[in-house]
Amino acid sequence: MSLRTLKFVLLGLTVIVAGAVGPFLPSKWMTTLMYAQLFAVYAMGWDILSGMTGQISFGHIFFVAVSGYTAGLLNLYLKWPIWATVPTGVSMAVLAGLLFSVPALRLRGPYFSLVTLILPLAAARLVIILADWTGGELGKFGVTPLCQDSLLNTLEGLLSRLHIDSFRLYQYCNYYFFWVLMTAVGVGLVWLSTSRIGKILEAIRENEEAVEAAGINVAKYKIFAFAVSASVVGLGGALSVHTNEAVFFNSLLSLTSSIEMIVASVIGGMGTIVGALWGGFLVRGGEQLIREIAQWKLPIGAEGLALSFLERWATFIFFALLLVLLFFARQGLLPLLMGLFRQRRGEIRRG
Amino acid sequence: MALLRVENLRKSFGGLMAVKDLSFHVEPQEILGLIGPNGAGKSTVFNLIMGILKPDRGQIFFKGQEITHWPTYKIVNAGIARVFQIAQYFPRKTVYENVEISAIPNEIFTRAIDPTPKTLQSCERTGLCEHSSDENRCICRQELPGMLPQGGLRRLELARAIGTDPELLLLDEPFAGLSHAEVDEISHLIASLRDEGQTIILVDHNMRGVMRLVDRIVVLCFGEKIAEGTPEEVARNPQVQEAYLAGGGF
Ligand SMILES: Nc1ncnc2c1ncn2[C@@H]1O[C@H](COP(=O)(O)OP(=O)(O)O)[C@@H](O)[C@H]1O
Ligand SMILES: [Mg+2]
Repeated sequence: MSLRTLKFVLLGLTVIVAGAVGPFLPSKWMTTLMYAQLFAVYAMGWDILSGMTGQISFGHIFFVAVSGYTAGLLNLYLKWPIWATVPTGVSMAVLAGLLFSVPALRLRGPYFSLVTLILPLAAARLVIILADWTGGELGKFGVTPLCQDSLLNTLEGLLSRLHIDSFRLYQYCNYYFFWVLMTAVGVGLVWLSTSRIGKILEAIRENEEAVEAAGINVAKYKIFAFAVSASVVGLGGALSVHTNEAVFFNSLLSLTSSIEMIVASVIGGMGTIVGALWGGFLVRGGEQLIREIAQWKLPIGAEGLALSFLERWATFIFFALLLVLLFFARQGLLPLLMGLFRQRRGEIRRG
Repeated sequence: MALLRVENLRKSFGGLMAVKDLSFHVEPQEILGLIGPNGAGKSTVFNLIMGILKPDRGQIFFKGQEITHWPTYKIVNAGIARVFQIAQYFPRKTVYENVEISAIPNEIFTRAIDPTPKTLQSCERTGLCEHSSDENRCICRQELPGMLPQGGLRRLELARAIGTDPELLLLDEPFAGLSHAEVDEISHLIASLRDEGQTIILVDHNMRGVMRLVDRIVVLCFGEKIAEGTPEEVARNPQVQEAYLAGGGF
């Protein structure tokens, strides 16, 4: 089996599971996983640039913000419809990516990373300075929802027979919207990462000089990867504004999210795309899972042992577990799995 | 017309002048030896030709066109490839994938040209084939470069360089760090490339080792050309003999 086929199979299985569990999810989990899918898109977008070429960006949330604020504000103030705000937002993210990457890619190693970190910090100040328009740290409501009443009404007749109320329906709509987005981005990026272009990006990570010595314009490929990456996370950002029906500072400019994109990709396996998707679910679903476990009672003693003390510690435990995972599966989950697979089933042909 | 012409090339690092007003040329299908003791500036000359370093002054012409300030990838695509003194490879890619990178065109958006035949050809020409039952078909080795012996790494370097279809091949100390048997192997390989009409500049610190391979020799010492001519002429040159003794028999 070629590496590409294997990745498509793993991607296929993952999205089938994510799609199939939808109807069985309690409301709380549906929201969590809806955002996990959005975050998986961010993580995959980060991975195609940083995971593949080794140019580690700490500030990818910046491109989410550029696109998200562009789309949201155009909709809020100029009443642009979704079909116009989203492409405009994505275009602005790509433009920002291009403008930034041309000078930044001359920087190597930590300098590049440091510069990327400054981007969202500067953008955050700007959003706060222009709080009258952007809503500052509180955000601003009133963005046109992605799942509009008209759309839902047409489906409602159909789905009322299945006893799904309108709130649930609304959730379904957003959940599956992001599911489609995640699937489409996953297919596109797995294809790209296993193509000729992906091979070059990967080679750049391993030895930039040797790639240049092979007659390849390394800068051009990095800029291309930057544009693809910015467009992917930008697409997620613009759409998230329309599902949140607001521009939220904390979702569009969270530095934590920016770092978590790296964590997701590293845990899943840098540059593997599918691994970054898994990592995205782990990062966004893991904490929720610990909170869930905190609701349980172990059958110990007469009244049972409540685990509610875990609730307060959930975030801490989660990060501690991530740390353990990073120590013991340094190359990431997908390469780990592939290593096992290779041992058992003979060789997976690369390329 | 000379394939490559270097004119008054100069490069200093701080106070150290590594290349001092150097001029030389290479004719098509010629093997030029660039000889000099360690630190003479040989690798620096290659770095200047490849556009990795920018010269303080001087010019470089390839096929009559000035390439002095071109970026590396463009120089490579124009037809110059080099084999590094210290092997440069992709440690997590197989030998096949390493060679394949050279066979991939620079264009991002292009009608896909299958790099496989070219890759296999490069492997075949440098003896990087896996032993297979079918004697006529070359299968590039599938192991990681880290598993190869020094001689194998040198072959890999050569395969990656040849994969760019160079008209001029720059070899930087191809025999360094090899066993006697490996030196003979790589020597044969270079000779076979020469017989195919490949133009080569061969850098070495050891004159004796390359005498049989080269048509002409340029001797460098402290960044300056001290002699030029056929191997016999250069070996008889008193200045070279003096530098040779001073340099501990380079
Ligand atoms: N990047 C560099 N920075 C500073 N000095 C350098 C650099 N590259 C080479 N040198 C110096 O230039 C001189 C020539 O080096 P080099 O071209 O590597 O010699 P050779 O390949 O003939 O052994 C040496 O003294 C070396 O220390
Ligand atoms: Mg040298």
